[in-house]
Amino acid sequence: MAKRHDTVEPTPDLGALGKRVSAARAATEARGETFYQGASKTILGAFPPKERWDDWVELDSRAWPERVEHHAMLVPTTCFNCESACGLLAYVDRDTLQVRKFEGNPEHPGSRGRNCAKGPSTINQVTDPDRILYPLKRAGARGEGRWERASWDEALDAIADRLRRAIVEGRQNEIMIHIGRPGEDGFTERVLASWGVDGHNSHTNVCSSGGRTGFQFWSGMDRPSPDHAHAKVIYLISSHLETGHYFNPHAQRITEARANGAKVIVLDTRLSNTATHADFWLSPQPGSEAAINLAIARHIITTGRANWSFIYDWWNWEEYLAACRPELPPTFDSFRQALGELYDEYSFDFAAAESGVDAATIAEVAEVVAGAGTRFSGHSWRSAAASNLGGWQVSRTVFFLAALLGAVATEGGTFPNAYNKFVPRPIHLPPHPKVWQELSWPLEFPLAQNEMSFLLPHFLKDGRGRLDTYFTRVYNPVWTNPDGLSWMEVLTDTDKVGCYVALTPTWNESAYFADWVLPMGHASERHDTHSYEQYDGQWVGFRQPVLRAARERRGEQVTDTRQVNPGEVWEENEFYIELSWRIDPDGSLGIRQYHESRAHPGQKLSVDEYYGWMFEHSVPGLPEKAAAEGLTALEYMRRYGAFEITRGQGQLFHQPVPADELVDTAVGPFGRVYSATPKPDSPNVVPMGAPTPDDQGRRAVGVLVGDEVRRGFPTPSGRLEFYSSTLASWGWPEHALPGYIRSHVHPANMAPDQMVLLSTFRLPTQIHTRSANSKWLDELSHTNPVWIHPSDAERLGVARTGDLLRVTTDIGYFVAKAWITEGIRPGVVACSHHMGRWKLVGHDQVSSGGMMATVTLGHSDEGWAMHTLEQVRPYQSTDPDTQRIWWSDTGVHQNLTFPVHPDPISGMHCWHQAVRVTRAQPGDTHGDVAVDTERAREVYAKWMEATRPAGTYSPDATRRPTWLMRPLKPSPETFPIPTSSPIRTASR
Amino acid sequence: MSRSIGAPVATASTPEPGTASLMRAASEERAASGQGAVSGEPLADAEADGSHRMVAADDGERDDGGAIASCDERAPDHRWELLRALGSLSILPPAEHGPIAEALGLAAWSPAEHTRLFVLELPPYASIHLGPEGKLGGEGADRVAGVWRALGLDPPTGADHLASLLALYAHLGEASQSAATDTARRRLAHAARALLWEHLWSWAPGYLAAAATYPAAAPWAALTASALADEALGTAPPEDLPAALRQAPGAIGPEVTVDDLLDALVAPLRAGFVLTHSDLVRAGREIGVGVRRGERRFALRAMLEQDPSSSVAWLARHARRWAGLHRSHGAPAPTISDWWVRRATGTARTLDTLSRH
Repeated sequence: MAKRHDTVEPTPDLGALGKRVSAARAATEARGETFYQGASKTILGAFPPKERWDDWVELDSRAWPERVEHHAMLVPTTCFNCESACGLLAYVDRDTLQVRKFEGNPEHPGSRGRNCAKGPSTINQVTDPDRILYPLKRAGARGEGRWERASWDEALDAIADRLRRAIVEGRQNEIMIHIGRPGEDGFTERVLASWGVDGHNSHTNVCSSGGRTGFQFWSGMDRPSPDHAHAKVIYLISSHLETGHYFNPHAQRITEARANGAKVIVLDTRLSNTATHADFWLSPQPGSEAAINLAIARHIITTGRANWSFIYDWWNWEEYLAACRPELPPTFDSFRQALGELYDEYSFDFAAAESGVDAATIAEVAEVVAGAGTRFSGHSWRSAAASNLGGWQVSRTVFFLAALLGAVATEGGTFPNAYNKFVPRPIHLPPHPKVWQELSWPLEFPLAQNEMSFLLPHFLKDGRGRLDTYFTRVYNPVWTNPDGLSWMEVLTDTDKVGCYVALTPTWNESAYFADWVLPMGHASERHDTHSYEQYDGQWVGFRQPVLRAARERRGEQVTDTRQVNPGEVWEENEFYIELSWRIDPDGSLGIRQYHESRAHPGQKLSVDEYYGWMFEHSVPGLPEKAAAEGLTALEYMRRYGAFEITRGQGQLFHQPVPADELVDTAVGPFGRVYSATPKPDSPNVVPMGAPTPDDQGRRAVGVLVGDEVRRGFPTPSGRLEFYSSTLASWGWPEHALPGYIRSHVHPANMAPDQMVLLSTFRLPTQIHTRSANSKWLDELSHTNPVWIHPSDAERLGVARTGDLLRVTTDIGYFVAKAWITEGIRPGVVACSHHMGRWKLVGHDQVSSGGMMATVTLGHSDEGWAMHTLEQVRPYQSTDPDTQRIWWSDTGVHQNLTFPVHPDPISGMHCWHQAVRVTRAQPGDTHGDVAVDTERAREVYAKWMEATRPAGTYSPDATRRPTWLMRPLKPSPETFPIPTSSPIRTASR
Repeated sequence: MSRSIGAPVATASTPEPGTASLMRAASEERAASGQGAVSGEPLADAEADGSHRMVAADDGERDDGGAIASCDERAPDHRWELLRALGSLSILPPAEHGPIAEALGLAAWSPAEHTRLFVLELPPYASIHLGPEGKLGGEGADRVAGVWRALGLDPPTGADHLASLLALYAHLGEASQSAATDTARRRLAHAARALLWEHLWSWAPGYLAAAATYPAAAPWAALTASALADEALGTAPPEDLPAALRQAPGAIGPEVTVDDLLDALVAPLRAGFVLTHSDLVRAGREIGVGVRRGERRFALRAMLEQDPSSSVAWLARHARRWAGLHRSHGAPAPTISDWWVRRATGTARTLDTLSRH
């Protein structure tokens, strides 16, 4: 403390005093400490200085007025709820070594110390009294609900034995790992590659693949990275992203942009949280969004605001003219004229007629967009792109606007995600599998963005294959997918699924039908790395078991994460390494080598070595930064949790290709440049398109722009593809340009008494079933009433909010409460997808917690019927808060009543439903669900008729364009269509 | 973690790309905003010479190497650090500012004293002293936030806090001294000057005079006032009144209602003086009325109800004391101090009139 002085000098020597302060600051900072401490008691957004992270002291507020100190170690990790991967700081009590709370990690470049409600609620998940703590083995029949505790050894041996036999017997395609939101960058894919199995299945085709498709066809990279913070105009199709996936990192940057005068435009049929903050909220008829986008595009073109020099250099307009307008002179003037003609029909009046939004409003919005110049950031993810037949054209037409304005990878513009993402090369990189999984990548969907995951039950019922061993990993297919009861039917059929292993921290609607339930850790109990596009920079984040890191700070050695996790909860990294060793104990299958130590060949790879190698060798700048603090790269990441690799990437496509990469070059007809030089190794293995080599095997290295070879885009042409030769040559020439496809819920496609149901929208406080058992979140959001406009309510005789509705889909119905609100467009109803959790009666080992109703589920000639037997109520547990549950209504599981709607191009499930809404009928109770899975088969078959299978339409007798992105892309020899394929000769 | 400008604002703002392109943003925002005096001329031509580092310190690498010698008559010195440190004491609690106070040779505050002054009785925010309602936020805060934006910076929480203002001023001063070109130096110096007159000198002398009446704060207040006066005396005086004073509501007149009078008396911009809770306690003691517990407006109303004449007369004397205080620090910018003198004197006259009724 400072010495007490009674007075200061009457005429202070300010110069000397300043010098003294400077010296004190320099001395403090030389010790690595902070002179000006964060004003954590005064200003929100200030954080404990990092030099105090080993011993951070807080007073116990409950002990007041006594001063009781809590000493904590602050250990970073990463949230595991939504995909944003925001940084968390675990406050680990130094005395008890328990995590007391989670707050934001100020060292994280993406989230910058901020979190949404889901981050701090991780503490609920960690301390959940109902979580699964030990491996469980099915005791009765599948789905009967009887379990017995097993050891990890028993589980590992049994599963490894099945896997080994399948691999040895050439049944690789009977192995599948189905992942929910990955929350990690490629670890599981590489495990499967090491097994030689094309068994990666994801949830993406019920999530974002429609959005991705539109972006990929433009740029070869399947998601945008909008630089919202510096934008002049922010254009969001639906609020999904800003409410869900990237709520925290994006919302904080949109807020900054708004403070700087940016305009926010939101197209969302529903008045979302984001829409309430928008300068322009447009509530269009669902599915008409692309028509509005094209009307704006037309306005940009016709008013001379298009960035013609950018278009000249970077669009594949020459290819378009050659392919589609050969009669025109191959000049840019021809293209400009053609472009104007192409979109002439998309007047404001046309868009107004399609969308129901006033033409003058669309015109006003168009003018704002046209004035954005290169500071236009746009995004479309789920919602419209994920809900409509042809929804992928929504994201494609959003990027169209950016491409017209030249706002591509500009400050305040829209970047391709790969510019702002860094996936470090791992210690082992197994080769591509030599098999092709037709259950995930069927011939009918050669352009599907991701695995046709939601069709799996139907493919199994079709007899297209079977699964010997099926894993779900923190994923709940029965609940998440449409037509969940078809999932249940195949999961309970041992002929179709031989063994079902659920890797999950908590009970869920799928795990009830598993043979093995294996407990995996939450955010603070597992290792992962990740990197997401959230601004124009690249960062890598590190999720870690915080108690392991805390013990290591105290000098203890932890070699197995189970040593610090509750019960016998494990993590996937160590689990898969161990499992792989048991599949191939002597290395004879060639699997073990990818799970062995490099430092000590023949020994098992540890997570310390895995991540230590990665951080040391594949993250530029990290070893140096760590060394400056006297740390190894791994120690640095364990201490700070994230590292920013670059900032300000800019227009990478514009970079010249270095001369040493230009050897024995060839130039294609439209300027694509190929080179005989091998691709230089990069420490960043971020996924992106892989343009095919030329006939001589030269790789696509760049594109000619003027006289310079520039890096270009990973598309076939090397440019932004206004015209997609891929779509044209794979049977969809009518959609080769950005356009508008009328949705399956377009008024022309619905009966007069049908309404559109928006069935997929997020609340910022939940994330599907991933956020399960978080009591704070459950208290905030636990039900999902049906939004209905007052005019519709009056028409249907629904008198008041809370009245029961019956919503009838193509295959069944659900009964839900009405919420009468002007926040929804007339003629449309909406129901959030987070709620309606259930457990089966008789499953006594499963607690219903605060979110699961107890239901009966029966089958009759009319199909399945689910009925709520008991709503949630207070219950006794180790957490006294479970006695304080004040709500009983946990909503309805609407997804069960949706048939599958695969988009024939993107493969996306089109979520919107044409429904009939009536008042509930006598006998209906809230939460009731009825489903006819036979009818679901008919709807499936009808949508499959719209596909154009590769067997008929492939231009080169392959299954899929090789350049398109694909998780766990198999080796090239698997791409040709086998002659035995039953789909090969499907008719046109 | 990115480092940003100076003391507490650093952790509050953690500016990221916004500051990386500061100069470009500054020039564009400046054209659009017209905020305060900094909008007078372009900030810098740093975009041309690539010297973004001049203001954008968030990369933690303020490279002084290669900077041309400052044209400032005063050689580069440590006055910026002094101002930053003095400001930080007004925001960091004693547990965190010990080494800073020690370096300044100032006594350690007790947490209670510090809280009483800076949180409860005299929160050091420009918006309280320059806003027509005498409250946090609103127009006064917006004006300061506009300065940050005009500079291409993201305004931190509490941008109008004395600590933030001094930190920004110090940063601009440092950046000016290390500027790579004359143009950049001139423009940064211009911004610093505008900040000084518009947002610091326009209210801080009065604030510091009020703070000096608290024994625990007196040394800090005196030192800060000296350092600020030193800056003001070394800077060309403003041609015009600061915008907040130019646009201030008129002085209260004898026709004022009781409610409006109460509103005005707790708003320095309207009354011309600072009236703290301690002042009211003193008034109660001097004129023999009870001071009811509560916010100042409530306590004042109770005093007026008990003895309106004496209470109003005391307030008139308070106003005259403040007119003298304003006069005493008039040297650097007479136009500003004269405004405050007139405002306090006008209030005194009105109160005199009211006390006779």
